[in-house]
Amino acid sequence: MTTDSPRLRLGIIAVVAVSLFCALFARMWFLQVLTAGEHELAAEANQRRVVPLVAPRGRILDRNGDILVANRASNVVTVERSMLRRLDEPERGELIERLAAAVDTPPFMISERLEDQRLGPFTPVPVAEDLPEEVLIELRERKGEFPGVTAQQSAVRAYPHGSLAAHLLGYVGAINTDELEAAGGVDEPSGYRLTSRLGKEGIERSFEEDLRGQDGEVVLEVDARGVPIRELSRREPVQGNDVVLSIDLATQRVAEQALAQGMSRSQGSRDPETGQPVLFGGSTVVLDVKEGTVAAMASWPTFNPADFVYQITQAQFAALTDPAQGTPFVNRAVQGQYAPGSTWKLITALSGLETGLITPESTIVDPGRYVIPDCARNCTRTNAGSAAYGEVALRKALTVSSDVYFYGLGARAWQDRARLGDTPIQDMAAKLGFGSPTGVNLPTEAAGRLASPALRAEAYAQNPDLFLTGDWFIGDNVNIAIGQGDIAVTPIQLANAYATFATDGTRYEPNLALRVQDAEGNVVRDIEPRIVERVTLPPGAQGPILDGLIGATASEDPRGTAYTAFRGFPHDQYPVAGKTGTAQNGGNRKDDALFAAFAPANDPRYALSVVMERAGFGSTWAAPVAESILSSLSGLETPEVVQPAAGGNRG
Amino acid sequence: MQTTTAHRGIGAVLRRDPAAPWRHLDVPLVGAALAVAGLGCLMVYSATRTSMADAGLDPFTYLKRQATFAVLGLVMAGVVMVVDYRNFRNVSAAIFFVSLVLLALVLTPLGTEVNFAQSWFSIGSFQLQPAELAKLALVLVLATSCSSDRGQLRRPRLTGAVLLTGLALGLILLQPDMGSGLVVVAIMVGVVVVAGARLRHLAALSAVAVVGVLAMLHFDLVDEYQRDRLTDFARSGEEASSSTGFQSEQAETAIGAGGLFGAGLYEGTQTKLGFVPEQQTDFIFTVVGEELGFIGSATLLSLYGVILWRIWRTAQLSKDLFGTLICAGVFAMMLFQIFENMGMSMGIMPITGIPLPLLSYGGSSMLTTWMALGLVLNVHMRRFS
Repeated sequence: MTTDSPRLRLGIIAVVAVSLFCALFARMWFLQVLTAGEHELAAEANQRRVVPLVAPRGRILDRNGDILVANRASNVVTVERSMLRRLDEPERGELIERLAAAVDTPPFMISERLEDQRLGPFTPVPVAEDLPEEVLIELRERKGEFPGVTAQQSAVRAYPHGSLAAHLLGYVGAINTDELEAAGGVDEPSGYRLTSRLGKEGIERSFEEDLRGQDGEVVLEVDARGVPIRELSRREPVQGNDVVLSIDLATQRVAEQALAQGMSRSQGSRDPETGQPVLFGGSTVVLDVKEGTVAAMASWPTFNPADFVYQITQAQFAALTDPAQGTPFVNRAVQGQYAPGSTWKLITALSGLETGLITPESTIVDPGRYVIPDCARNCTRTNAGSAAYGEVALRKALTVSSDVYFYGLGARAWQDRARLGDTPIQDMAAKLGFGSPTGVNLPTEAAGRLASPALRAEAYAQNPDLFLTGDWFIGDNVNIAIGQGDIAVTPIQLANAYATFATDGTRYEPNLALRVQDAEGNVVRDIEPRIVERVTLPPGAQGPILDGLIGATASEDPRGTAYTAFRGFPHDQYPVAGKTGTAQNGGNRKDDALFAAFAPANDPRYALSVVMERAGFGSTWAAPVAESILSSLSGLETPEVVQPAAGGNRG
Repeated sequence: MQTTTAHRGIGAVLRRDPAAPWRHLDVPLVGAALAVAGLGCLMVYSATRTSMADAGLDPFTYLKRQATFAVLGLVMAGVVMVVDYRNFRNVSAAIFFVSLVLLALVLTPLGTEVNFAQSWFSIGSFQLQPAELAKLALVLVLATSCSSDRGQLRRPRLTGAVLLTGLALGLILLQPDMGSGLVVVAIMVGVVVVAGARLRHLAALSAVAVVGVLAMLHFDLVDEYQRDRLTDFARSGEEASSSTGFQSEQAETAIGAGGLFGAGLYEGTQTKLGFVPEQQTDFIFTVVGEELGFIGSATLLSLYGVILWRIWRTAQLSKDLFGTLICAGVFAMMLFQIFENMGMSMGIMPITGIPLPLLSYGGSSMLTTWMALGLVLNVHMRRFS
């Protein structure tokens, strides 16, 4: 009946079957024995979802406890992009449509935000904010329809005073790769995650460690659609601490308003180079010289920190960094670098007294012009308006701002360099804190610049094509003596130098905060004053310089450069020692207006600086801003601010 | 020893020597099949208990139904065994014709569409899949037809076999149900190889099949999702971005995560939390892999090994070529389904909707498998009569 053939064929089939079974067995062995570990990890990662419980950030208060930055609850919907990628195209589109309908936003706006490449691939993308409670409830009830979508109440920053103190408060934003790396990566102990938000600028950044608190987390078991099944564990978040600033709301507001008024009035000129209207900025810094703290700090133009509460749009950010709009984002108080002009004469005077090149009583005759000795070309310099001041000693030189007096001082310092070294003026400036950051608690402070023969030679050696010469000439010293040339200072450095002089040489790293406290107001730590240096000022210098600076605001004859601005000021009760500055910008650009001062002169409490880019004379523009701030600080009845008029003194 | 006075017909056999064939029941085959079916009930229960409970339904729903199917299947196997298998020769053509009619009818509005395929008749709360019955009918009709050539399958008979298979295949692909289609082809290959088809005929057939498949892919005659399944399988896990790639990756993860001893019964998270789709039906093996581990999977594979060995052995022992070919068809059917189903769960075969015999949830598959085993047992116990 049976032939051999079916038997043989059955043999073939058996071989096939055994081979296939071997293949299955081998694969089983590979998956479940050889590589079981990695599959176990993958399965574990699949079903565990760690949901961070973001700690409420600490608040920022002014010195009287008034709230500058608080938190408010916002109903936010975020989408996890990694979850979206698991869906096929039609499904993904449907999800976005559904979500758009639920949060009442056009679908294209959601798609657009989902494509924002500025956020990391694992950062949940916020697609709708400030939603009504009903939407949140609805999304949660229908969670099965919305894989990867999270609707939750989250705390965002609230600014009860709008843009007030925007620059020093800074803002909070999503952490980026560099910041995460700098913090030590995603693992402990930094506590940051890919989704963390942190302080990006200002106090928010410099006090990040105090403000951030400690995030908690819930570990959930989730199913394949990301829908939570049950809670595995939970750690509650710890709220961040409050930071109490040294500024007070009223002073800050006065400083900002005075600056804004002055700046608005000084605008209106077009940039001579481009012919386009360009907005120029300004800033003012008020320091408490007794405390070593910042009493007020303003930079103009300013911005609204609320714009940063969610992801700021690219257009908004472009406007904040647009030079034609005055780069509102820059905090000029610590980042602006300017030639100090005649406000620098305080430093030149101190240097002259220390080196013995002048005494308080030594006089020169100021004919209004100065011829630089040992000079080949362009050797004549003049006072502003070529005014001739006649016989001039130190007091009068400061009061009327005689350039000729200081030109000569600068020239002699160079001529006597064998005895004094190359840089007696710069050395004095460095002692008063120029050329390096003051150390105020803000993250991005500029150092300023102090030119010297050595630095110039070095720069030239490195880049011979970039400079005309690597040599230092006597004319350079003449320029430096009146705060021109290769000198750049920040407004806070200027205020801090005057503060140092006002306190007989006590130089602080200005503090912006007084203390850190918990939500109940218990002090966590006090922020102690930080004295960097006790500078020894030349003996006998204090009196004559003080006289000269008081004269600048109060003396009618000889007429002080800021006399007009301070006319009617209660000088008897609240004397102000100040110095105007008008720094040339070269070409036919308008001058920067500056003013530096401290008051009351007999028992100094505050030091301040005002810098207004391309405004014009310091006496005309910067001194009135300072006057209006000091009026308010004095607490005395003072006349209306004198409106800047045409003319005025450049010094 | 049995008497050889064979009078075919139920009454005759039972009257004359009722006890004889049953004495030769293949106990290992029945035992292994019962073990797999029992394990299947447990696995189906494990795969469905949480989701049913969550939905507020009786968690035992699927267990009860699957157990019912298993018992029903056992009864059907018994029924199939009562009649001497040689009698099926006379009715195989009719059975096949009926199954073709059913395959055609399911395409009409009488059928129900599930998962984009028109493959089911809904009868009350039960669903009947005619493709499953067609497999069995094909085994019978091919065995009948090919056994006429006495082990030297000639071209006309081979052509006939191919045409018969093609009829069933065509109707099945219209649903479309690619998985069942492949099984049908596997059955034919098994039968004609054992029936003695010539090597060059087989080679020519393979060539035609390859060209046909390539043409289908090339001319977009397959649905996109089916092409994805084929191509994703060839890609690595990272690149497979579609949901099909995700499924197969998750299935592999589930099985691998089981490790040597498994997560324990009911403890599989991959399968419980919905990472693996169709876990009580096509992907039931992932539950075995995740919860019972390598030990459980290897045991299951061994049980299937025993079943196939017994079928193969019966093919050898069969008194006639018809019996041998029945066994060859059933063998090919089971082997292909086991390899394809476990293979796709472990990522070495593309994903197709083929149930794992006796283990996957589903009545039609369960009944068909038991009836197929009934045929084999029938051949086995009547090898002397």
